[in-house]
Amino acid sequence: MNNNIDVLIIGAGPAGVAAGIGAKKEGAERVVVLERDWDLGGILQQCIHPGFGLRTFREELTGPEYMHRFIQQAHEAGVEFRTNTMVFQIDKDTNAVWTMNKERGIECLNPKSIVLTMGCRERPAGAIRIPGTRPAGIYTAGTAQRFVNMEGYMPGKRAVILGSGDIGLIMARRMIWEGAEVEGVYEVMSWPGGLRRNIAQCLDDYGIPFHLQTTVMKIHGADRLEGVTVAKVDDKMTPIKGTERYVPCDTLLLAIGLIPENELSRMAGIDIHPVTGGPVVNDLLQTSNPAVFAAGNVVIVYDLVDNVSDEGLIAGANAAKFAAGKISPNVKRIPVKGGENVRLYSPQFVTGEADTIIYMRVTHPIEQACKVIAEPGLYTQRLRYARPGEMNEVRIKAADIQAKPDLKEITVDIQPL
Amino acid sequence: MNYDVIIIGSGVTGAGIARELSKYKLKIAVLDKASELPSGASRANSSMIHGGFDDKPGTMKAKFCVPGNKMWHSLVKELDIDFNHCGSYVCAFNDDEVKHLEKLLEQGKINGVPGIEIVSGDKMREKEPNVSKDIVAALWSPEAGIINNFEAVNALIESAKINGAELFLETLVTGLLFDEKNNIRGVTTNKGEFLAPVVINAGGTHSGEISKWAGDTSFKIIPTKGEYLLLDRTTQGFIHSFLFSCPSKAGKGITVLQTAEGNLMSGPTATEQEDPEDRATTPEGLAEVLKGARRLVPDFPVRLNITTFAGVRANTESGDFEIKALKTPRGFVNVAGIKSPGFTSSPAIAAYVADLLKEELADRITLTPNEKFIPERKGIPRFLYLNMEEREELVKKDPAYAQIVCRCETVTEGQVLEAIRRGARTITAVKMMTRAGTGRCQGGFCCPRVAEILSRELNIPLDEITRHGGESKLLVGKTKEFLLNKGAE
Repeated sequence: MNNNIDVLIIGAGPAGVAAGIGAKKEGAERVVVLERDWDLGGILQQCIHPGFGLRTFREELTGPEYMHRFIQQAHEAGVEFRTNTMVFQIDKDTNAVWTMNKERGIECLNPKSIVLTMGCRERPAGAIRIPGTRPAGIYTAGTAQRFVNMEGYMPGKRAVILGSGDIGLIMARRMIWEGAEVEGVYEVMSWPGGLRRNIAQCLDDYGIPFHLQTTVMKIHGADRLEGVTVAKVDDKMTPIKGTERYVPCDTLLLAIGLIPENELSRMAGIDIHPVTGGPVVNDLLQTSNPAVFAAGNVVIVYDLVDNVSDEGLIAGANAAKFAAGKISPNVKRIPVKGGENVRLYSPQFVTGEADTIIYMRVTHPIEQACKVIAEPGLYTQRLRYARPGEMNEVRIKAADIQAKPDLKEITVDIQPL
Repeated sequence: MNYDVIIIGSGVTGAGIARELSKYKLKIAVLDKASELPSGASRANSSMIHGGFDDKPGTMKAKFCVPGNKMWHSLVKELDIDFNHCGSYVCAFNDDEVKHLEKLLEQGKINGVPGIEIVSGDKMREKEPNVSKDIVAALWSPEAGIINNFEAVNALIESAKINGAELFLETLVTGLLFDEKNNIRGVTTNKGEFLAPVVINAGGTHSGEISKWAGDTSFKIIPTKGEYLLLDRTTQGFIHSFLFSCPSKAGKGITVLQTAEGNLMSGPTATEQEDPEDRATTPEGLAEVLKGARRLVPDFPVRLNITTFAGVRANTESGDFEIKALKTPRGFVNVAGIKSPGFTSSPAIAAYVADLLKEELADRITLTPNEKFIPERKGIPRFLYLNMEEREELVKKDPAYAQIVCRCETVTEGQVLEAIRRGARTITAVKMMTRAGTGRCQGGFCCPRVAEILSRELNIPLDEITRHGGESKLLVGKTKEFLLNKGAE
């Protein structure tokens, strides 16, 4: 019963559940989604704050509500789910997927196509090498969110938040709601990591101080965190002498970046993009292994779950097409290049098989009117600003690609007007 | 509580002695102030099993390092410890350093180090293509290796326990007890008195202080901090052997190595300090490590750093180990100042201590061989390293092995449960015994899950679980209770 799977999806977060729906809608017979957690929904299970689904449903939903709608659709479409099931190996040559589960033991699945939807994980403190001790009380914002929202326990009473990624901002507010103090949010860059909307709703509304170009220099405390030393940094991110300040706190929450989780992708021999950290994909969301597709934060870290779901639907549909032998091995591969101020973008190749969106982020903020473009002459759109914390989109029409049979390369960029 | 022998400290020295003495019919108590093992210098070091060329002939270090190396090669099999028999290079960048290699080679030959030779930089780069092009020559030592030091200390103490020794964690020795003749009668601790005619001081950075209680002030411990960088396991294979710089006065210099699990690692610094417990990393120290690492390996991929840490080693003024049975008070044995190559030397030191007891303290302790001694100890299954058949068998026997707890290091619930069965009570203890939390997310994923399992298995509330004992609780209470209490205040 494990060898007639058309589309096997790894991870039942927003991307994976949408991929399941996408695959079924495309007509795949047997679509199975594997999830290592005991329940479906991925990280959205613990995102109990509102703000999800504004684009998709034109409503402001909580994370679990948003997921519930998709999960229901998936059940109705006949997607099979296996929870408490961990994929621990994908064989490079055969695409065999090895899973484990307490009841079923170790199993080897041989699907016709695979969709990778493992999401991303948070960068730990060690990644930025903060000097000092190693006490209890230092958590990534997501781990703290799990403790508060899923387990019902408080990680501390007085928190400092390092990094201004969205989960950090959300957790600042959450800690206040639960009666803790939040001394401040510190961001090493001169611009925020998260959405402006979250700065306003989570920090400004609660009077939480937000310090740009400031970072945690040292961690104090032997058993439990006792405090941190913060300092201003210059434009090269070097701490400025004389600006050090000791902040007593029992908790340090980190929101210093998300990394696509691609251990399995690497195991499967899939090309990983050095900048996005996710698989190199074309606009069908097909990876360097033609039978393997990928969608969501495992490819590139998105701001909005709506985009993740959209991409999941596309990857699932294309995986179903592949399983049915409907994707030609000779699809076009027009490379996409990023302009000067483009830090990362995805997909990296365009086939012209369907209309597509290229998602991108700028390296430096542009705080004036600007335009996002795709050359040669494929797209242009005026923007009021462009910020690293907020993803931009380039929409490419398949017809435009097909109309340019000699197209060798597409360049995406954002430039001030 | 009455024992034949009390060992203060359960680092690799104390645990090694406990295991050695468990070969005899003795009632052994091992006392350690920490909540998990290893905790002191045995936790945070280079995990190196040295060749033995670095120590001046005639010193205790020279006496124990080479035999210690040999003993570890069989101990790792007997006790099921991960060991990477990778060999080591001391790298020379100029003529002066080449002269130093020649001196080391000479010294190594006197010390009886097998197989050492000087090779050219080019020859070395055939095997280690990522090392600096400026390395002109290197001293190769084939018997050197890298051990899983967490596993090693736990394996030694488990083996001792299998053979009857008792381990008391969170037991801080606060003083010595003397009889009417002023000889050793036992120790006082935060958990009460432990009595024995023989007390062995394996107190690491605290061994000088403990020795003072016995009246021996002949040596002074100089706590010396060593800082390290540890990188993601995807760096596996970037280098293969243990790489030394030429040593300076400060120590063996910054090294680059691949741990027994495949993480690239670099360190240590050598900073003398007053406080034996100060294990904070410093900006200067970490910068020094990175600089040293890049000198040996120019493309050292520090962007893949996952954690930094520091250990404090028990240096002595003499630079040598301080191992002796005191004349007065009788019954007190110092095994102090055990710093590099202490880990390597520890099995040989343990055997020497057993001889010392036989020869010098026969009036106080009798070492009768324990015919029932079981030399083997089986480690907790390491799911990551098993082949598919072994995994299937394990899962069939116990389905808990089919539940992944730590996704970075592929540690299963079965392993965590086994660690708890073997005495783990804290997040760090589980980490030391199973490697859960040692990977790239540094416990972000598994810490709440390990905490839940500890809470469930030990039947203690989640907010009582600690990171590493003492006041290191992970959580400060339940959410709504917390808010209500705050309102009441």
